[in-house]
Amino acid sequence: MKKFNLSIYILLAFLIPSLSFGQIEGEVLKPYTGKFLLKGGTLVTVTKGNLPDTDLLVQDGKILEIGADIDAYDAEVIDCTGKFVYPGMIDSGTRLGLVEVGSLAETQDYAEIGNVTPNMQALTAINPNSVAIPVTRVSGVTTVLSVPSGGLFPGTAALINLNGYTPDQMYAGFKGIPLNFPSSARRGRWDRRSDEEVAKDAKEALKNINDLWDKAIQYAKLDAEGAELDYYPEMEQLAKATTGEFTLLVEVNKAEDIVNTIKWLKDKNITNAALTGVAEGYRVADKIAAANLPVITGPVLAIPSRDSDRYDAAYSNAGKLHQAGVLVAIRTSDAENVRNLPFNAGFAAAYGLGKEEALKAVTINPAKIFGLEDQLGSLETGKSATLFITDGDPFETKTQINHVFIDGYRIPMTSRHIRLYQEFLERSPGLVE
Amino acid sequence: MNIYRYLAAALLGMAANVSIAQTPKGNVLIKNATVLTVTQGTLENTDVLVQDGTIKKIGTNLSAGKDMESIDASGMFLMPGIIDAHSHLALDVVNEATAPITAEVKMSDVINPFDVGIYRALAGGTTVAHGLHGSANAIGGESIVMKFRYGTSDPADIVMKEAPRTIKFALGENPTRVHGRGKNIQPRTRMGVEAVIRNGFNEALQYQKSWKEYNENKGKKNSTLTPPQFNLRLETLSDILNGELIIHCHSYRADEIYMLINVCKDFGVDKLVFTHVNEGFKVAPELAEYTMGASVFSDWWAYKFEVYYSTAYNAAILMANNVVTSINSDSDELIRHLYHEAGKTQRYGGLTDDQALSLITINPAKQLGIDEFVGSIEEGKQADLVLFNTHPLSVYAVPQMTFVDGVKYFDIKNDDDDQRLKVSPSELVEPVYLHAEHERCMHGVELFMEEGQLFNHAF
Amino acid sequence: MIRRLTAVFCLLSVISLYRTSDSYAQSDPSGQRRVTDLYAITNAQIVTSPGSDAFTGTILIKNGLISAVGKNVTIPKGAQVIKGDSLFIYPGFIDMGSQSGVKKPEEVKHPENLDPSNPPNEIAGISPESSVLDYWKAHEETMEWRKSGFTMVQLLPQGQMLPGNTALVILGDQSSNNIIRENTGLYAQFETHRGLYPGTTLGIMAKFRELYKNAELQSTHESQYGSDQDGIRRPELDHSLSAFYPVINKESPIIFRTEQALEIRRAIKLQEELGFGLTLFNVKETADLDAILKESSANLILSLDLPEDKAFKQDMEGATEEAKTSHKRVEEAYKKALSQAGQLEKADIKFAFTTYGVKKQEVLKNIQKMIENGLSTDAALEALTSTPARMLNIDKYSGSIASGKMANLVISDAPIFSKDAFIHYVMADGYLYEFDADKSKNGVKDADKIAGKWSYTSETPGGESQGEIRFEKKGENLTGEIDVDNPNGGGTITRELENISFDGKNLSFSFSIQVQGEELTVNTKGLVEGDKFDGSISIRDMGTYSLKAEKRPSTTF
Repeated sequence: MKKFNLSIYILLAFLIPSLSFGQIEGEVLKPYTGKFLLKGGTLVTVTKGNLPDTDLLVQDGKILEIGADIDAYDAEVIDCTGKFVYPGMIDSGTRLGLVEVGSLAETQDYAEIGNVTPNMQALTAINPNSVAIPVTRVSGVTTVLSVPSGGLFPGTAALINLNGYTPDQMYAGFKGIPLNFPSSARRGRWDRRSDEEVAKDAKEALKNINDLWDKAIQYAKLDAEGAELDYYPEMEQLAKATTGEFTLLVEVNKAEDIVNTIKWLKDKNITNAALTGVAEGYRVADKIAAANLPVITGPVLAIPSRDSDRYDAAYSNAGKLHQAGVLVAIRTSDAENVRNLPFNAGFAAAYGLGKEEALKAVTINPAKIFGLEDQLGSLETGKSATLFITDGDPFETKTQINHVFIDGYRIPMTSRHIRLYQEFLERSPGLVE
Repeated sequence: MNIYRYLAAALLGMAANVSIAQTPKGNVLIKNATVLTVTQGTLENTDVLVQDGTIKKIGTNLSAGKDMESIDASGMFLMPGIIDAHSHLALDVVNEATAPITAEVKMSDVINPFDVGIYRALAGGTTVAHGLHGSANAIGGESIVMKFRYGTSDPADIVMKEAPRTIKFALGENPTRVHGRGKNIQPRTRMGVEAVIRNGFNEALQYQKSWKEYNENKGKKNSTLTPPQFNLRLETLSDILNGELIIHCHSYRADEIYMLINVCKDFGVDKLVFTHVNEGFKVAPELAEYTMGASVFSDWWAYKFEVYYSTAYNAAILMANNVVTSINSDSDELIRHLYHEAGKTQRYGGLTDDQALSLITINPAKQLGIDEFVGSIEEGKQADLVLFNTHPLSVYAVPQMTFVDGVKYFDIKNDDDDQRLKVSPSELVEPVYLHAEHERCMHGVELFMEEGQLFNHAF
Repeated sequence: MIRRLTAVFCLLSVISLYRTSDSYAQSDPSGQRRVTDLYAITNAQIVTSPGSDAFTGTILIKNGLISAVGKNVTIPKGAQVIKGDSLFIYPGFIDMGSQSGVKKPEEVKHPENLDPSNPPNEIAGISPESSVLDYWKAHEETMEWRKSGFTMVQLLPQGQMLPGNTALVILGDQSSNNIIRENTGLYAQFETHRGLYPGTTLGIMAKFRELYKNAELQSTHESQYGSDQDGIRRPELDHSLSAFYPVINKESPIIFRTEQALEIRRAIKLQEELGFGLTLFNVKETADLDAILKESSANLILSLDLPEDKAFKQDMEGATEEAKTSHKRVEEAYKKALSQAGQLEKADIKFAFTTYGVKKQEVLKNIQKMIENGLSTDAALEALTSTPARMLNIDKYSGSIASGKMANLVISDAPIFSKDAFIHYVMADGYLYEFDADKSKNGVKDADKIAGKWSYTSETPGGESQGEIRFEKKGENLTGEIDVDNPNGGGTITRELENISFDGKNLSFSFSIQVQGEELTVNTKGLVEGDKFDGSISIRDMGTYSLKAEKRPSTTF
């Protein structure tokens, strides 16, 4: 029998929220909804400042009331004294739910065959039972955009809540159509094309997009005129981006390409669009700001895009974009480790964005970009009760997340990672001599 | 420019010690820092005096020597240079994936001191990294411990000469995929991996014997013994059996970890470290009992099947079971913020500050056999130091300066942005790397796949 | 040992020369033989060796040797006199490494049960026992290098890690086999056969050590077997290992192709561990290596290839500050590359040159660039003449102009490294070759109209064939290459275009192919209209056929 550090036991008591979710054999932990009173915490509302020692009442999936000493005798009371309440964090670019095991093709559902497949619906393939979902949500990331990848128009992305048993239960009210804007960058050291060839290829790809876009406009126009068009699901979907019904999420990273994208969007008179990736956004931040385009950037924890770049180029990108006046949201681009979103935000904060803005970049800003600022992204009465409770700054690694609510559902604070911890911290049998 | 810094320091070093050409060593006084010694607790408002690359004195009111730079570190945190026990940075080749055992190859042959990633690692406080062969083979090549003395063009300058020899082993999916499924030779299964390793060790025993016999009789009258064939592969395996190398074994599943422990026991090999070791937590008591420890990821999982049943609490469980545990990068990206990776063990398992810091300092030093030289702030140790603006385990921590042997190689305030040592004379358009594939354990292996499949995550 | 070999060689060459003079002249119904081997080049500016001043004088050549050189040389009867007024004469250039005319060995068939972890040597790119001379087929192609002033060439075998032995040949007459010396070195490269052991530089380093050690052991075993001791097991001779013996005995070097600094260091590391003679070949990067090069006994062969100046010359006006800074570093790197040779001269490190991977017309241009960037003309000449001669141990009879030395000369119409210099004659092995000085013949106008990729279709009796022609603009001129069906069967081969001329309408060029060991020149000419080319190809004695081509607007992949 090994000796254990006492502190581990103490921390263990915190970690495994045995208060309400002590796991006994055979017990299944399920999310449940109801009326909850979060009592006496500091509400970090994001939009209305910090409210110390304030109560928050959850009912019917919504934040019913915020105030001091709310009286709700029939609510389940959660003591938040000394704790902090935050709106759920939103990761605005992930693959969560679309892949279970990274290297196993059988579990990869994010890239369909074909270059123009905007009709591929991420929401269709999201696996509500992915092991990564509980792993993610206990970190306070409650809502993610799941994005297909691959060709030019790889599909339709969907915003989901990390709770629910069907994709429709998870759907959080936003869909967008990603476009991988052609790049005039070398794709790596192995890319041996000449400077001219690189430029030429990009030009051709752009022409291709223009042709497609013209067709989509034509489809939309004829459709609006009531024409009976032949079945053409790709154009049917793309047409919805041309009319602005769906947001166009333009993935673009190299400075030159960003400038080209801005020009292209302007030429095509596309207003419902956001730039994603934007790794070199800091190089052309003023131009992005002037074009009034929101940006979803990340991962922040990335190496700079060029060898000549300053080492912290990726860390400081979000901050520089914000300073230029760009509305910035942060993404992880991850699948199983979307739980690192707060740390990505923390690094952005440390390298110029500041804590307050970094928090916005994972809450209210994405809500705005997705047109959901009346529902998500801050603690306000009437908004969705999607929030979490901590013992400190959620970006700090030391901080523990104590409770998570998604759409008014109280989420069990467990995951396979936690259950393995519980089982193996002190294995039995231990060492057999 | 770092190259000038390196040269300047090298010149100074030469003046101090003319007889041997050697790597630069610096002198510096860091004043009033919060010193995180790792082994001897935290010292507030403390000075650290570095002379000739060595920590000379830790105390208060120390004064700088002549021409010695003095740095006011009030409000700042000083910790030992971060040590990464698993990296593929600054290596031109990672995998010689053509044979299941390639113990004969040496990573020291392919060091690339021009890799700008070295500077970026320094900017993240990493001063020492263990450059490993990839995981394509059951037994890979000899690894190399590097000290990141950026600015030199000579690979020998960044080799940590005091470090003992180490070698890469790899179990599980990678060697079975590359050789068994890729090339139809053993190993195709975890059974085969064990057999390949045992075969190698047994052949090495025979090899030792035949050379011993030959050498004993060489020059003797009437000896009819002729020289056996020289086999570099078996030479290295013999050296492992003789305890001259520390094994760092890429592994994930509990069963394969347990297997190698048993193999090593059978052959009397006890210098054994497991790396990645995602399911190490399941055999923590065995790891504690028999090995030099486990070097893990903070939170990587699910990128392949053998890491599907892992947990971010791995390090915490291992530490609680008294396994010497470190956190490594295996990534040119992650190596830039190992302090943050260590911090994650406070969320996933509530390690103390000292425990968390030990994961990236003294513990990896122990696993590499260099803990008498580096890994903590102690008088007499090599002056590999990092200065942070705040506590390094905070997500908001930003490294300010990094020293190797007392020479400053990173200074957030004074460094140029462009730190490339080498620039193409004919290309203006630089390659742009996006979501770059930082992870390099299986680097170069796709070349050898029969069907040319590529793997996104390839560890 | 080296000295002894050289002596033997000298003797051999003297004997062979005697034999030439002893042999009786015979009739030659082919009419190929020259009338006399006695030449006099009169009243020319002569630079006898690097560093010596030019003087006006006469050179007398007989029997392939320089028989006299000086200001007052009497011209014997029967000499073919070349009026050298306004001409400049230098020792013939020596190319320290070329694969011109050297065929790739046929790929060895993989056995069915090939174990990629332990392939036979010849499949793994290890054939040090083979000789480049067995693969030197296209002699005419090699001889073309005379145009750039070369009179001797060290030929390198093609292949991977250890392709075989090198050899020194002279660019002399077709009546001779032109071999000066076999086995001048063992060629080595950091090149592998994909997917087989050794597959990377890691494996190559280990494999090299192992081969070398085993060669030493095999040699020990052999001498044991040859000794008086009974009962010694018969050595199982491995010819790959035996091929190392001259290297182990320091009779010839390892010629390691090491272009980048790290490759150079790796080769030197092996040299230091194992102790062989080393020639660093096709070196492109020497910055920061001065000390190690000086300390090492290795011979240094610089590449004549220089980086392209497109990025260097890029107009940065109006570019961002960041781009300008970045351009400045490209500029620095470019200048550094060009000034390397000059830096080596300053550091007193001797080097020779190789044409490996360089186009013929680039040779003098690139040397001029090096001279503009700090290399002295003396040092440039040294690197082309006396230094390579010394490295090859042939300096006793070549590498300079003196009585009794081989008649290898470069004759130009202006100082050889000046911008306008044109090589008018080259004498190799006492044979004189004249080149057309009419430079305007291959004029190119409107190079932009042609530059790019063209798809062509050609009708021949053998059927229709198709392929691609690629033109690239180089200054005002055009360079190019064409993909043609391999006449020897199997796939396509790429040939360099020569004599490209375009006057805005008429386009002509030629290229050569080998068919059954014979070299054929294919002349192409026709009319360009817009993106279309309508023309013909003609091959001597074979007829004329149509070739149509169309310029491709852009590339796709």
